[in-house]
Amino acid sequence: MKNNYWKPGILSGAVGVSVAHIWAAWALAGTTLAGPRELPAGRTPSSTTTIGAPTLRTDSGPVERVAVTVTGQITDETGSGLPGASVVIKGTTNGTTTDANGSYSLSLPTGNETLVISYIGYLSQEIPAGGRSRIDVKLVSDSKALNEVVVVGYGTQKRSDLTGSVGSVKSAELLDRPAINIEQSLQGRIAGVNVAINSGRPGGNSNIRIRGYSSINATNNPLYVVDGIIWAAGIDALNPADIENIDVLKDASATAIYGTRGANGVILVTTKRGRKGGTISYDTYVSSATLARKRDVLNAREFLALEDQAYQNVAKFDPAGWAAGRYANRDPRIKRTALIGKLFDANLNPLYDVDWQNEITRNAISQNHNLSFTGGGDQTTFGLFLNYNDNQGIIRNTYLKRYTGRLVMDSQLKPWVKVGATLNYSNSDERRGDEGVGGNNIPRMMIEMIPIVPIRYPDGTYGKRQDYPDMESGDNPVALSNEDKRLYKKQVFGANAYADFTLMPGLNFRTTLGANLASQYNPFSETNLVQLTRPFRGYAEIWSYDTKFLQWQNYLTYNKQINANNSLNVVAGVELQKYTYLQWFSGVESLPDNYYEYYNLGVSGNPLPPSSSYNAYQMASYFARANYNYRDKILLTATGRFDGSSRFGENNKFAFFPSAAVAWRLSQEEFLKGSTVISDLKIRASYGLTGNSEINSYQSQANLSTNVSVIGGTRAPGTVIGTLANPNLRWEKTAQYDLGVSMSMLKGRIGIDADVYLKQTRDLLLSAPVPLSSGYASIYKNIGSMENRGLELSLNTVNIDNQTVSWSTNFNISFLRNRVTALGDANDDIFPNPYFLNNTNILRVGESVGSFYGLVRTGTWGSNEVDEATRYGRRPGDLKFQDLNNDGQINDQDRAITGKGIPTGYGTLSNTVRVKGFDLTLDLQYSYGNDILNLTHHSALDRTGQANSYGDVLNGWTPENQNTMIAQARPSYVYYDSKIDSYKVEDGSFLRGRNLVLGYTLPSELVQRWKLSRLRAYVSAQNFFVLTKYSGYDPEVSTYGDAFAQGIQFFDYPKSRVFTAGLNISL
Amino acid sequence: MNRFFKPLYGLLLGGTLLGSYGCTNYLDEVNRSNFTQSSYFTSASQAQSAVDGLYASLRMFTADNGYGERPWVTLELINGHATTLGQSFFNSQFINQTADAANPPFRTIWQSSYNAVGSANLAIQRIPAISMDEALKKNLLGQAYFMRAFFYYHLVRLYGDVPLILDPIDASSTQLYPTRSPQADVYALIVNDLKQAEQAGLPVTDQTGRVSTGAVKSLLSSVYLTMAGYPLQKTENYALAAAKAKEVIDLNVYPLFTSYDYLHDNAHKNQGELILQAQYSSAIATNSISAQIIPYFARVSVYGDEYGSLIPTEGFYNTYESGDLRAQERQFYFTSYPSITDTTRTVQFGVHALYKYFHKESALNRNVNSDQNWTLLRMPEVMLTYAEASNEASGPTATAYAQINAIRSRAKLPALTGLTKDQFREAIWKERYHELAYENKAYFDTQRTRKVYDVRNNRMVDAIGFTNESGTTFTEKYLLWGLPQYEINNNRALTQNPGW
Repeated sequence: MKNNYWKPGILSGAVGVSVAHIWAAWALAGTTLAGPRELPAGRTPSSTTTIGAPTLRTDSGPVERVAVTVTGQITDETGSGLPGASVVIKGTTNGTTTDANGSYSLSLPTGNETLVISYIGYLSQEIPAGGRSRIDVKLVSDSKALNEVVVVGYGTQKRSDLTGSVGSVKSAELLDRPAINIEQSLQGRIAGVNVAINSGRPGGNSNIRIRGYSSINATNNPLYVVDGIIWAAGIDALNPADIENIDVLKDASATAIYGTRGANGVILVTTKRGRKGGTISYDTYVSSATLARKRDVLNAREFLALEDQAYQNVAKFDPAGWAAGRYANRDPRIKRTALIGKLFDANLNPLYDVDWQNEITRNAISQNHNLSFTGGGDQTTFGLFLNYNDNQGIIRNTYLKRYTGRLVMDSQLKPWVKVGATLNYSNSDERRGDEGVGGNNIPRMMIEMIPIVPIRYPDGTYGKRQDYPDMESGDNPVALSNEDKRLYKKQVFGANAYADFTLMPGLNFRTTLGANLASQYNPFSETNLVQLTRPFRGYAEIWSYDTKFLQWQNYLTYNKQINANNSLNVVAGVELQKYTYLQWFSGVESLPDNYYEYYNLGVSGNPLPPSSSYNAYQMASYFARANYNYRDKILLTATGRFDGSSRFGENNKFAFFPSAAVAWRLSQEEFLKGSTVISDLKIRASYGLTGNSEINSYQSQANLSTNVSVIGGTRAPGTVIGTLANPNLRWEKTAQYDLGVSMSMLKGRIGIDADVYLKQTRDLLLSAPVPLSSGYASIYKNIGSMENRGLELSLNTVNIDNQTVSWSTNFNISFLRNRVTALGDANDDIFPNPYFLNNTNILRVGESVGSFYGLVRTGTWGSNEVDEATRYGRRPGDLKFQDLNNDGQINDQDRAITGKGIPTGYGTLSNTVRVKGFDLTLDLQYSYGNDILNLTHHSALDRTGQANSYGDVLNGWTPENQNTMIAQARPSYVYYDSKIDSYKVEDGSFLRGRNLVLGYTLPSELVQRWKLSRLRAYVSAQNFFVLTKYSGYDPEVSTYGDAFAQGIQFFDYPKSRVFTAGLNISL
Repeated sequence: MNRFFKPLYGLLLGGTLLGSYGCTNYLDEVNRSNFTQSSYFTSASQAQSAVDGLYASLRMFTADNGYGERPWVTLELINGHATTLGQSFFNSQFINQTADAANPPFRTIWQSSYNAVGSANLAIQRIPAISMDEALKKNLLGQAYFMRAFFYYHLVRLYGDVPLILDPIDASSTQLYPTRSPQADVYALIVNDLKQAEQAGLPVTDQTGRVSTGAVKSLLSSVYLTMAGYPLQKTENYALAAAKAKEVIDLNVYPLFTSYDYLHDNAHKNQGELILQAQYSSAIATNSISAQIIPYFARVSVYGDEYGSLIPTEGFYNTYESGDLRAQERQFYFTSYPSITDTTRTVQFGVHALYKYFHKESALNRNVNSDQNWTLLRMPEVMLTYAEASNEASGPTATAYAQINAIRSRAKLPALTGLTKDQFREAIWKERYHELAYENKAYFDTQRTRKVYDVRNNRMVDAIGFTNESGTTFTEKYLLWGLPQYEINNNRALTQNPGW
């Protein structure tokens, strides 16, 4: 007893932990509490057989002399060997575990025993040996298996013991479809987790919401925790292939342990660790992406014809000016005649007709390589994981290239102490073309560039839009893609080290120190060959960022089997966090030579003012959680976290966040215990309070700000009022009620998880408007509340399962209703960003966040409505809006809610069929009830004559075509109407063919001859169809990063259709 | 057993440490990029910076409110002698007088002015306690007083009764949700602040862009003149206005330029007749005045956009007397310019665009943003203020004739003589239109005189009910701006102006 508390025999004798648990915990050890001890003890999973711990000893020890030896390989559905699976003789504690290739050898007393084969995360099988000497078994994964170990934050739990709502994804599923980041991997996997990939840009621009929105001015993004450490450096620095599993904490009982940072849900990422033995794996794919959908724009002939028509209409829209000859020099014939030889032939026919969408997009070839090495012995394991991903965008010259390297090591140094460390390095290099929303934005220019101008003239110079009179500035997108270099270069270093001590049986102490460092610089350079709105040509700048996040946690875990009926698991600890951020900038205008790009800013005579800024925050926390188990029937969890943050006012630094949950496993009751239909049934109920502190630092203080005045022609720095202090600023608090049921039927063939929840946020942190007469525009205050009600359902079925064919289905659906319940002192509307022409959306009590707000377009004024139109200052052919308050004018008082950006329901339906070595997966994604505010209508539909337009303008009002929503064409210099209105709102519901994969795993006998343990080849198609009424590139879209801007679109990087071919090799 | 408890001690120690951190300074915030109000105002240089920061707000007239929309454009469009080309819907609402209180410039001027007032209030409250050179302290406070007066002067004229905030605001201030104060009270503060500035020992003139005693007196003469007219009608202030303007004239430090070109070039910034300007400098603060006045995409400059957002009406242009130098090509106006893309070709505008704001240095040079200054006060205004105020107080005088005739003489126009008081008044008003054209003076003149210029009949007429050359009838509503809708929404203690 003196220094050897971790004796498997003692442990298993005392608490009876299954091999599977031990293995799983071992595999997950990075975040978990150092192996087996934290596993809730004393319960026998219903679907696995408990075996004696001594069988763990596969390396040494006497083997009984027996009559028959049976050998074989245990594989997963893909035929890949499962190391560490348990093979046990039924009714005994005798058994073994498989080696690194999944092979085993076991002595049977008679040869007629039944083998029980189990592995964490897979359905166990019982195979009568029947005298055979070789028995290969293929296990079918059971992602909702009851004995699955789930990471819950500062520990793990068996799924069967969960009282909260936790969704999980495992590595095998993550690899189903190519993904460059976790957000993409996570999409559609878990009910209640909405991942919108809002751009076709390499790497995405994703937006994740777990159970809707809980905040207005603080973040709605979930908290990422990687191997126990908060990941502050941008989750895209992590390679999805390095992930063992992802667990998403959804309800407050699960998230409350993260206190002030848990309100938006927590995504716990567990990375792969080393494994005993030695394995080398190589995964690779090559993909080809093309523009999935094109928009119809005017070609050269249509563009010119419309211009002619519009010019003639000037006589109608400005009769006086027309009569006075004010527009004589704008006659298209005059303009075109002056350009004969350059853009027109002698008959004024265009010389060019460019399809800019075709010219700027390409068939983009991408590649990905993952190489991993794992190995080790009984005490020490290590893993080395390398990745290179070259993701080319479909817009020319855009790409995202990333290298990652990850080294992990875990060692059971002494029976009472285990240490381990992880080093993760990532280097990404990105070039974008969709920056901003103006004339430098390629997605915009590929629509708005006029077709009559060439990419290059015969002399090699670029065609420009302003080569044709009356056009606004903005360049040809091919020129922009060549001459604008907008780069994002980021290095992320993540490290953590832990030590786990066994203080006495059942009591562990763990200390973890984590660091997350990001160093980023974003250079931009532009040659003098393109024309910007910026008059300074030859431009370069570098934005640099340095962020550091440190976290140190210390906690105790205590497991106690009180008696046969009662057991207890307690976690208690303390944690410190510290974050610092520094940003700096330098830039120059008028580069003397394009050669320099951003590599020698000093050569310019026109430097821009440099700048820098800093912010930091600290947190100090205490937390505790207790799980109580009564006869595996009644499960209780209580959690509390006492959190302090520097971001809050002097008077409110600390707050307490409690939660409680109860679960009742009906299947353990006598009346269900014998059921052949229901193998597990659990009802869960929880309540808890979580917080949100993710506002900018220093908001409680009366900060001054600096500005720049000019005195004597030179810079004079000024110091002026900045923020209106609120020393009473405090946490935003979200109370969440959850009622859930988890059911498993027909021995796990059917799994159902359903939750209803009510999430109420109060003390909303709001950058509330204050009267401008104060000198300030807003103050951070705790006002307002909102609620989310939701229903989540996931259904997993194994429809067919035999040795040759298996077919499983996964369906999930989430319904969400959000409602603002109070805003400020007087429930006044708030208009959040983005602002475009006018307010685009609204926060209003009783309505959903993300509601669009604008005028209601009812059509166009007809020839027979001259008088009424005149009353509104309009003419026939002008847009017609509804005068909601009937005051005879159309203004801001006539606005109404016109749609909402967040879906009513969304989810995934996926099916996987395996026949012998073949696997086929079809993954469909759907969303309904979400609208899109298509702002591109402003510049490509509402107005003409300054840029190219959508083909829809050809359906504009004419005396013969009066039943239309589109105004009569006219040059923009005689006014046009463009409002945020209902016609810009489109139904964004969709059904997407997200992924279709066909794979083939070569028979293991064959590949073993090549010294391989596994070889799988696959082809797949992503985004192979989208059914939607939406007119744009893709209905899953958002141009702006603002909290409630989901679905607000102004020229997005178009999505692609991707075909992929890949190989998975292990040896 | 000892070794097993070491970690426990560690935990306890860690917990204790954490506890003490939590209680002391671990959770303190230190903003290294900016001061807080309580940590600032400790030195002369900090006082200087607090005052320098106020000058940035003078740039509010050129703030970008949208495509071709700028407050200085709005002020001209309301007055009716300008139109706009291009696509601006808000601009057209001012031309047609169909705007509502949500129009962006209303908020820009309100917000910028009160932001400057807030910073000036803080400076005025905190600088006196700083231990520093007393003369410099007085000088800095004088500049702060001037600024507060300047912004209140714009607020009170544009919005009428406005909240009168004189102290720094915090979250608990009752003045966070203020009511409107009577205009007379606001004017009293303005006069008082300007008198403080006048006594602050500021230099007589300043060619760096700072406030000078000359600028203080010039603004004060304008304030008195306005107070003498609508709505206060304190006619005794005509004499005060005349006296104050006369002090500026007698300083004899603001000679009229010999060329109108000097009004819009870089070499003459803050010189000669220019008394106070909002300052711009390339790569520090730039504006788009020059790009705003070039007809819509005329392609005569290197500016990415030529907005045509402020184009004089031909009706107004035609009111210049024949022979008026200011109406000659490339004096105040121009109708054509060489094409930037094809210099052999001349672009005919078809309108009289404002050469007065055409900034050659930037318009023709690819590598310079427009940094021409925006003029707030220049000598001809003071001279005409003197002429008008003294005429009201005591009828036409030789000194008054001398002022207006100096301006006319520069424009190659014959001297005025022998007019009655009423004729002289009307002549001065027209001269203000012609000399100070599109300098944001005309709308304020309309407010205080309730007269507008009937350009078809070349006479001054009652503003309300008059239909101008663009066909828009001036209504009483437009004598004031609407309080910004944003402000009305956020402060229930406020009332809206009539008609808005």
